[in-house]
Amino acid sequence: MRIIAVLLIFCFASTVFSQDYKFGKVSKEELQEKFNPKDSTANATYLYKKRYTYFQYDQGEGFRLMTDVHERIKIYNQEGFNYATKQLRLHVSSTGSREELTSIKGYTYNIIGGKIEDFKLAKDGIFESKLNKYNNQVKFTMPNIKPGSVVEYKYTIKSPFVSTVDDFILQHNIPIKKLDAKFEAPEYFTYKMNTKGFLPIRPKNTKANGKITFVNKTRTSGSIRVASRTSFSTSEVEYSKNISIFNLENIPALKDEPYVNNINNYRSSVAYELSFTKFPQSTIEYYSTTWEDVVKRIFKSPSFGKELNKSGYFEDKIDALIDKVSNPAIRMTLIYNYLKSQVKWNGFYGYYTDEGVKAAFKNNTGNVADINLMLTAMLRYAGLKANPVLVSTRKNGIPLFPTREGYNYVVTHVRLPEGVMLLDATSQYSTINVLPLRTLNWQGRVMAEHGGSELIDLYPKTISKNIVSMLLNLDEEGNLKGKYRSTKTNHKALSFRKQYNSLSKDDFLAKLDNKYNGLEILDYKVENDYDVSKPIVESYSFIKENQADVVGDKLYFSPLFFFKTSESPFKLDKREFPIDFGFPSKTTYRISISLPQGYKVEYHPEQVVMKLPDNLGGFKYNISSKGNLIQVIISTELSEPIVSSQYYDAIKSYFNDFIAKEGEQIILTKI
Amino acid sequence: MFSQENLYSAFSIPLNLKENANAVIRMHDVKVDMKSFNEMHITEKKIITVLNSKGETHIDAYIHYDDNIKIKGLEVLVFNKQGTQIKKIKMHDFKDASAISGGTLYSDSRVKFLDYTPVSYPYTIELISKIVNNNTAFIKSFQPLNGYYLSVENSSYTIAYPKNVTIITKEKNFGDLELIKSETLGLYHYEVNHIKAVKKENYSPLFDDMVPKVMIASTEFALEGVSAHIENWDDFGKWMYHDLIKDTHDLPAKTVNTIQELVKDETNAIDKAKKVYQYVQDKTRYISVQVGIGGWKPFRASKVDKLGYGDCKALTNYTMSLLKAVNVESNYTVVFAGKSQRNMEKDFAAMQGNHVILNIPVENDEDIWLECTNQKLPFGFIGDFTDDRDVLVITPQGGKIKHTKKYLLNENEQIIKGKYSLSNQGTINVNVNIVSKGIQYDDKYWLETKTKRDLDKQYKKRWKYINGMSISNMKIENDKQNIKFNENVSFLAPNYSKIIGDRMLLTINALNRNSHIPNRYRDRKFPLLIKRGFKDIDEIEISLPKDYKLEGLPAKSNIESKFGNYSFEINVKDKNTLVYKREFVIKDGAFPKEDYNAFRDFYKKVSKLDNTKVVLIKNNI
Repeated sequence: MRIIAVLLIFCFASTVFSQDYKFGKVSKEELQEKFNPKDSTANATYLYKKRYTYFQYDQGEGFRLMTDVHERIKIYNQEGFNYATKQLRLHVSSTGSREELTSIKGYTYNIIGGKIEDFKLAKDGIFESKLNKYNNQVKFTMPNIKPGSVVEYKYTIKSPFVSTVDDFILQHNIPIKKLDAKFEAPEYFTYKMNTKGFLPIRPKNTKANGKITFVNKTRTSGSIRVASRTSFSTSEVEYSKNISIFNLENIPALKDEPYVNNINNYRSSVAYELSFTKFPQSTIEYYSTTWEDVVKRIFKSPSFGKELNKSGYFEDKIDALIDKVSNPAIRMTLIYNYLKSQVKWNGFYGYYTDEGVKAAFKNNTGNVADINLMLTAMLRYAGLKANPVLVSTRKNGIPLFPTREGYNYVVTHVRLPEGVMLLDATSQYSTINVLPLRTLNWQGRVMAEHGGSELIDLYPKTISKNIVSMLLNLDEEGNLKGKYRSTKTNHKALSFRKQYNSLSKDDFLAKLDNKYNGLEILDYKVENDYDVSKPIVESYSFIKENQADVVGDKLYFSPLFFFKTSESPFKLDKREFPIDFGFPSKTTYRISISLPQGYKVEYHPEQVVMKLPDNLGGFKYNISSKGNLIQVIISTELSEPIVSSQYYDAIKSYFNDFIAKEGEQIILTKI
Repeated sequence: MFSQENLYSAFSIPLNLKENANAVIRMHDVKVDMKSFNEMHITEKKIITVLNSKGETHIDAYIHYDDNIKIKGLEVLVFNKQGTQIKKIKMHDFKDASAISGGTLYSDSRVKFLDYTPVSYPYTIELISKIVNNNTAFIKSFQPLNGYYLSVENSSYTIAYPKNVTIITKEKNFGDLELIKSETLGLYHYEVNHIKAVKKENYSPLFDDMVPKVMIASTEFALEGVSAHIENWDDFGKWMYHDLIKDTHDLPAKTVNTIQELVKDETNAIDKAKKVYQYVQDKTRYISVQVGIGGWKPFRASKVDKLGYGDCKALTNYTMSLLKAVNVESNYTVVFAGKSQRNMEKDFAAMQGNHVILNIPVENDEDIWLECTNQKLPFGFIGDFTDDRDVLVITPQGGKIKHTKKYLLNENEQIIKGKYSLSNQGTINVNVNIVSKGIQYDDKYWLETKTKRDLDKQYKKRWKYINGMSISNMKIENDKQNIKFNENVSFLAPNYSKIIGDRMLLTINALNRNSHIPNRYRDRKFPLLIKRGFKDIDEIEISLPKDYKLEGLPAKSNIESKFGNYSFEINVKDKNTLVYKREFVIKDGAFPKEDYNAFRDFYKKVSKLDNTKVVLIKNNI
């Protein structure tokens, strides 16, 4: 065993050649490589990725944040051609200051007739355009790309926005062979470093000295006989710099998997957030350091705290609404429903108001903060203990460290004698304690009135249920007639409403008809489609042909018929990341099947109970027959909204097993 | 006439216009004022009531602009259900963005668009815009309807033009709809009332081929500063060739030498062209950059030679220059690309199309068509992207309408040959070979460059009705020479057949089950169109589990219909071995709407027969 290990190491060592990462020093070995030896499925690979971010002092302007980027990418095949095109976003502020891109240089390298040839990225291949109010975009694509090409480019971005350092992305959808990153900040700026992802990342921290040279210009005014004179003198200021360095090798590609809430949560990266500045002869200015600070700063911002305290614009409306009601829970529901009907979400996120609550109320539309801060204020006005909750949406990822950017959304928290309620008035079909899926992401932060805060779990604990009862009649040709009735609660109801209410009934029925490959539906009814306080009740009758196989004098069918689960979502052999179902759920079918005249049950599957480990869920299959009736109860339950990847094998085989069980057949024979 | 105030309220919509509609155009008036051959002013006013969220797209408040298109005025008023104005949105409140579409690196075209969050439905939008356009190559058609689920109360169109300009028009698809028109010298006017909304139906003709419209063009026009006088396709072809294409054939001498060297051993034009095509595929890739006249004029060949990329015009033109260098004649060809097989409007010589391919005329044989933006396609294979449609071939002598290659059903063949064995536990063990040609080749050739992980996903998706598959072998070969795609796959899946007491129930068709049933329409409106036919032939040998024997064998079956035919049979080879044969053919063709249900029934029967079960029983019983 040991010998093999040593040999392996030796083998690896012998295949490693020393590589030059200086710009332009692309090697023949790199060009000749046909695939990435560590990941043969990679279409392209970062041979080298370098990013240095540091400060530069420009007299008259102050500190500027400089970022040097140098990337060398190997393109193995046509699928990797996308990596020959680069897109950059440059931030522009409303005051006109902007990030600038300078000194782009790039070459494509190919081997032609055994020799390395290079092709320069020309200026007319670089395009800058205005993307929107806040961003410009620069795009370029490298010339002469072929399978096997190596592209290399470098550029510098100069930014006046010293408080926002772009994240250092340390992992891509393709592998990285070697990565050098460095962040260097003068002692005047103190940044907080946050890392995330599945890779162990630790920087090397050092210090160095820096120097600013000021040029002072003095002008002596002249008189009639003496010409005016300008004299120059220089002065220097020395300071120390804090440096963190990342040197990484062979970073694997990040690959997406089903039921991952946001793959970027698992992408390795490092973020720097400015926590305070301290310049000589001035006081410390804090940006943020702890969650308490983050909360305080957000609270202090005029687009948050002040907006939350405004109430004049709605008082008479709310007075009229709750005038005769004293029960707090009813007051909450009244206000919540009133606001949902009055102000519609414009699709924009944020915990800071956009137009402001007053304007949003007047215009009947606003962003998330406009609406939910308004909701909080209205509830407070009605005497309830309501507070805003900072949330990071599924798209925004998980806020592991205290940053303002960690959050991007706000909902409302109400404490009632009955318990804690979470509300979001931006979603029409969201209800009390049933937040829209986008917000179900780990924990939110409840902001108390005096600046304190506490965490609250956003994943729902209540199981969302779908209970289906069916009375079915099977005839001897295998045709099925039935009555269907289902009751859906919480998130099952929310997603149903979202779909059902966005379509005309005709279109919805056509979809349902086609989902089951031609289901004839009669007497279709939905109760509580808009009354979100009650569960959805859906009912209809149906006819579907050929639901049993007729072989000789026997009929074969599975008791769930076309309602059985047809496909497992978990097909991959391996799983890296947690499996995120969003919310706990349970589906139950209670089915009663009347047999065709003159038939009896020859065989039915056995009852079964399957359990996932650690109470993560389970499957129950109950069946009995009496006379010409078969009774079946089948339920599947997933009790946790999110499950660690160590359970993947168990979950994968659980899905395959219960799908197989659902497919088991009943045999009827002619008497 | 209605009073305009009346149109702002959702209550005044005639009942029959609400049927199937997500939005109703209350009135739409387009006024095109052509001041000269290179200047037109377009004033548009539209009042539209949006009935539900699906109707938002019909507001269509996107105004494109660039150096030649200036927006002079833009304003939106919003009215609630009752018709009371609730909002006014001015030009500077419109969102402004680059009009770069997916796949485009850069375009100088920009767009202003309305971004309005409705408070409740229905609501009404009034959109007023004024544009000055120095490109007169494209004149807006009079097309009252721009989509399904939309109805129109009133729509009108006026074009005024100067005496030294000639306007040509073409009316299409008005059918029973009354087109009110007056065409006097210098002023054309069109108007229609009450168009009911229609639902979208699958297997129907292209929307563009059914929607009523009056196409309008000027025989004198300007395009990004280039002027033209065109009366027929010959003029058009000459203009395009001489003014836009000819001067871009500037290959560097070095490349000319290389390419001449490359083909020096080839004696006939087609073999030469094959080598040139391969050279282009190896050298270039598709990147779209559209600036000014570059939206219509190709990059110079020398530029493509230097950069190794370009858009469809540039790459087609580059291929053409290379062919010219080795004395092979080829022609730049304008086409409407996409699966929908849209034709160039034959008798309307004006700017059309959205894509460019290359045509190589062959004496006494069918022309060859080359798609120059794809590095994987075999020589002469265009697939469903540009097949079977009228295109405009540009030659130095003028333009000609030609028809591209149609892939016949016998060419679109898939042959499956395989074996599987079944264990006593119901596990299936499969070895299969699949050969695809024609459009079925087109459906699969792109798999060639997929990674193992993606291929694994693809096969699990193709056979999604088999759960718990583990694939042990996937070998694919893209035979570009014979245009065949060859797949060899081996896999295992537990619980494939169902064990029921002493019996085992086997769905014998494991590898090519049709699960597609065309959508049901309670009241079909449009004719049935099957654009492409195909033929599947399967032959599978099945080894039965050793503890089981055959109990019952389904009889063979054969269905003939005008849409195609289907047959299967199961033969007993020996005590332990069955042979399953299946043939499924769908013919292309156009049928009246009354045939749709029969078509759907045919598919339903196929699906049912594809689920035929074979019953096995334990040996000792």
